[in-house]
Amino acid sequence: MSDNTLYSDRMKMAELVAADGNLLSILQRLGIELGFGEATVADVCARYGLSKSLFLVICNIYSFRHYAPAMDSLDKNDIVHIINYLRVSHKYYKEVCFPGIHNKIHKLVEGLDDINRRLIDKFYDDYDNEVNNHFYFEENVVFPYIDSLFNAVFAGENEFSIVKFEENHSNIGEKLNDLKNILIKYLPEKYSSPMRFEILKEICAMENELRKHSLIENKLLVPLVQNLENSYE
Amino acid sequence: MSSSEKYRILLIEPSEIIASGFRAVVSKSTDFEIVNTLSNLSYYTPAQAHCDIIVINPAVINYNERFDIRSYFLSDDEDICIVALTNSGYEENVMRQYDGCINIYDNTARIFQKLHTAIEEAKQSPKNELNELSTRERDILVAVAKGKTNKEIADEYNISVYTVISHRRNISRKLGINSIPGLTVYAIMNKLIDISDFN
Repeated sequence: MSDNTLYSDRMKMAELVAADGNLLSILQRLGIELGFGEATVADVCARYGLSKSLFLVICNIYSFRHYAPAMDSLDKNDIVHIINYLRVSHKYYKEVCFPGIHNKIHKLVEGLDDINRRLIDKFYDDYDNEVNNHFYFEENVVFPYIDSLFNAVFAGENEFSIVKFEENHSNIGEKLNDLKNILIKYLPEKYSSPMRFEILKEICAMENELRKHSLIENKLLVPLVQNLENSYE
Repeated sequence: MSSSEKYRILLIEPSEIIASGFRAVVSKSTDFEIVNTLSNLSYYTPAQAHCDIIVINPAVINYNERFDIRSYFLSDDEDICIVALTNSGYEENVMRQYDGCINIYDNTARIFQKLHTAIEEAKQSPKNELNELSTRERDILVAVAKGKTNKEIADEYNISVYTVISHRRNISRKLGINSIPGLTVYAIMNKLIDISDFN
């Protein structure tokens, strides 16, 4: 597939996955089972009750680095689907990705001297807390706020707005990047090990994942919610 | 670059009037040509990255992404030159990501001069510099890792807060570490401070 051809809903679902294996994890978290034969993207999305335009935008974001979604393909009814996608992604990060990294970090530090063990352990634990708080805030403050806005039960008190969400939106990618560089460059060479390589591969994949995730939040969700907020003013 | 080859410019400017004007200015140049004009980033695709210079109105960048414009454009081609086209002011830490800044009131000669300077600037991107910390940077890193504020550091070394911030930015760029906890880990691993300073 050429680098410039974006995905379309008439493509076979199998073609997308064959073109970019990273899309497997999106299917997985959305609960799309394998074995879809020759079904098109439109068919599969319809079967699972997913918004096909959103599904395509998400896949394009994952596969094409420079892709900037055209907002006119989405409307306010996609907000619910975006939130659902973000929720299942959080679940996937919390249950699969971060525990995987954590387990390996745990094994890595076993082989370190006392000082380096404490440093890495504490850095990762603090980071882990930060990530959990970040997800907790989104799931328990931001998403319910958007739900209430969407269902028009919004009281109009304006205590919170999606712009505040943007402002408070801590960058959980930054510290992961710090950890990556510490493991690549600064943990002494004598502690190089297969485990250290494995951790780094997972961190790199996770960084990429978080970049796409915040792109979806900032480029899709926030503008749609802003429109919705404006409609109440 | 041979004389028949011109630097290729991708123009991203929402105003048709300004875009036309800029195209008219560049058409007089023997060194530059505009290969494509976009009114906003939605139409941007990787194919368009095959240009030498992106001239962009910073207003088309989402406000919350303004500190990270390079992530929009860069992939393997880190040398791409990005120039702002604007008539209004932006924060310094936004503008320093650009290799140059053209004001819409600049005259033709000035615009060409700025484009040439920007090309040079892009070639001397930070990745080419020696990434050792200077003595002053190391001192400031230690102070940051010990939890001192920019104001405290500025007072201690008798420099402006602005200079402290600029040092910190350079430190983070050289090390690839941005957070204070990350800098602290670095400082201890490199024995710049003691583990007892770490809590």
